[in-house]
Amino acid sequence: MDIDDILASVDRGAGASPESTALDHQQLTRFWVAERAVSEVLPWPAPLMERVMDRVRMQIETIEDLASSSGDTGTPTNATHNPNLNLRLSILQTDLARTQYIIRSLLRQRLAKLTKHSMHYLVQLASRSKSPFSQSQSQSQSQNPNMMPEDSVPDISAVDNVSPLSEQESSFVHAHQTLLAGHYGGSFMGSFPRTLRRLDDNAGGTSMVQGPETKEVVFARCLGVEVPVFVGGEDGEEEVGVTMRMGDVWVVRWEGVRRAWERGEVELL
Amino acid sequence: MSYYDIDSVLTDAQKLPCTFELEVPGLGVLEGNPGEDIKAGTRIDLPLWLGEMLSIGARLGTSRLVTLDMPEALSERVMNALKADPRTVDLRALAPHFYSLSERILELFEEEDMVDVLSDTFKKRASEIADHAHNSRGAVGDGVDFLRGLDETERQLFRAAHDRAKEMRIWSGEAKRK
Amino acid sequence: MAFPLPRGITPTEIAFLAEMETVTVVPRQRLEGLELLGGPLEPLVPPRRASLPLWLALLLKRQRRANIMPPPWLHPEALSLLLEIESQHQDYKNAFSPPPRLPGQPSVRDYQDGVMPTARPQYTRDGQKYYPAPPFLPQNVAQTTFSPTEVPPLPFHWVEVGNMLLDAASDDLVDPDQVRRLLKDLREVRMAKMRSGVDVMDAAAMGGGGVALTGVGAMEIGEERGFLTGVVDGLRKIGASKEQARREQMAEQRANGGYDGTQDEEEEDYMEF
Repeated sequence: MDIDDILASVDRGAGASPESTALDHQQLTRFWVAERAVSEVLPWPAPLMERVMDRVRMQIETIEDLASSSGDTGTPTNATHNPNLNLRLSILQTDLARTQYIIRSLLRQRLAKLTKHSMHYLVQLASRSKSPFSQSQSQSQSQNPNMMPEDSVPDISAVDNVSPLSEQESSFVHAHQTLLAGHYGGSFMGSFPRTLRRLDDNAGGTSMVQGPETKEVVFARCLGVEVPVFVGGEDGEEEVGVTMRMGDVWVVRWEGVRRAWERGEVELL
Repeated sequence: MSYYDIDSVLTDAQKLPCTFELEVPGLGVLEGNPGEDIKAGTRIDLPLWLGEMLSIGARLGTSRLVTLDMPEALSERVMNALKADPRTVDLRALAPHFYSLSERILELFEEEDMVDVLSDTFKKRASEIADHAHNSRGAVGDGVDFLRGLDETERQLFRAAHDRAKEMRIWSGEAKRK
Repeated sequence: MAFPLPRGITPTEIAFLAEMETVTVVPRQRLEGLELLGGPLEPLVPPRRASLPLWLALLLKRQRRANIMPPPWLHPEALSLLLEIESQHQDYKNAFSPPPRLPGQPSVRDYQDGVMPTARPQYTRDGQKYYPAPPFLPQNVAQTTFSPTEVPPLPFHWVEVGNMLLDAASDDLVDPDQVRRLLKDLREVRMAKMRSGVDVMDAAAMGGGGVALTGVGAMEIGEERGFLTGVVDGLRKIGASKEQARREQMAEQRANGGYDGTQDEEEEDYMEF
């Protein structure tokens, strides 16, 4: 090992062992497949994503350094010193592009779910708000004679815990829904009677706020020794249906295996 | 019922026979006689959303304004035909949103037998749909009539099966993109 | 923001995933080790064998920098045996042949003899349990020792790996034309099983229920995903009122202390696909 390699490995910082790089990559891949498989937004794995993004940034620098060193391959010494430079570059670039593809697909899939069920996620986040103002807000607003669709977009500024979203996603979804509501107001809802301008109406027994369907089925592989499938998805429900055994692949309702997935005992395919 | 789902909205507009139990002044407009009254015992086809609303009393066992009947699409005659051979029935002609309508009706009437007949129908027809969807030459012969008679849920199923099969052929090099 | 892809990874994405499978290559030139985002790459020193992700093996193969050693199952003899098992064997009339075992998973026979699995998770840096699974298990590496009695099982990504190796490395395979024919036959036999699964899909339409498809391949799921989930969704909606009634009834029985779970037992019988 030459001195550059030693310095480089110090730069990677503590804990950045090769095993953890491979493990993070495997986790990212598995998370991407899962996110693509279910209709709800899965809890954002913040520490994992930070590590992966750091590595992507470092890898881009490595590739740039390597590419600039190929700029002066005119000298014969360099060419013999680095006979595989182009090959190495193309391998590193392919590897980078593959990782970037996963990240991009993952983020776009999440944004697609967020925009589809934007009110659902905003209402969910706002219900955790500690601020008494935002909780009483909806009542005070129904009296508001100038009620506009934007006013029914929940205020999430006082919410600390934005799970399952990332910080960026929560501000995105709020900004997105506010813009959309403004557009609805400006183009048609503004001319409706005041009481019909809300975007979270419940009248007629049909809620305007639509969430993802967690009763949809997924293809799941059992990784733990035995995993029971729950009958319902509600918290605290303990009623058990069929049991999956290690290595089995089943078609089951997502809500029935979600908790096992959170424990890492089930993977989605 | 899903607020933004167009199929759900259209299902809501499908009609079913309702019988008025009471005389309702001024509601003749439903019969095409604006200004007139509706007499007790009048039978009219009303959209699901309206019939359901008017029948709420009936379901709670209190005063009932109208009682609901099975729509023709789910009549005993149709159920018998489905039991005999689900593949030959033109569901689309019965109701474009046949299964969505059934779901809503089954919420209103307790009909466990109907659930069994419909589940069986759906499965048998689904197998047939898969066969047609995986046929790269498209529908031929009897298939054309069968596919024309698919209801909206089944059409979506056909599309899902067909798109994936096509993508698969493209990936494996058996077919070209577009 | 439009995201054009349907729910569940598509055939192209499944192939992308399969390219992360590890295969064995014999390098034809030297290459120093590299730190990749997918993990470190060992140095290549001909003629020493090396394990590489499939995408990299294919990249080197296309540039004639390496040869790929086919996985043991991608061989005419193994495939013929597998085809025979899938189409003739009594136990697999309605099921797929058993997949490669996960680390710590006993064989079917040992399981019946009461050997319990020993699933030992790794722990991630965030302290979560992590059990490795395909494409991150060595299911497609060449084997040095062959057991004449045991047929190599079909790995999860068999369709993709088989297809890609036939495409880019047919000169490294034994009798590629025969392999191609056998793969096609296998696909047809197994696809018919997948389709017949529609008849038992009711089992997955109820809460707590499910249909086992153990041994199914990734691409086989990809091809049937939209259809099968559509069927189960349809059945779930048709049966929603019945499920609701059943749950209310069970809740009542439980409240009266009369629930003994026999109803569940009865149902599990026809859930095995």
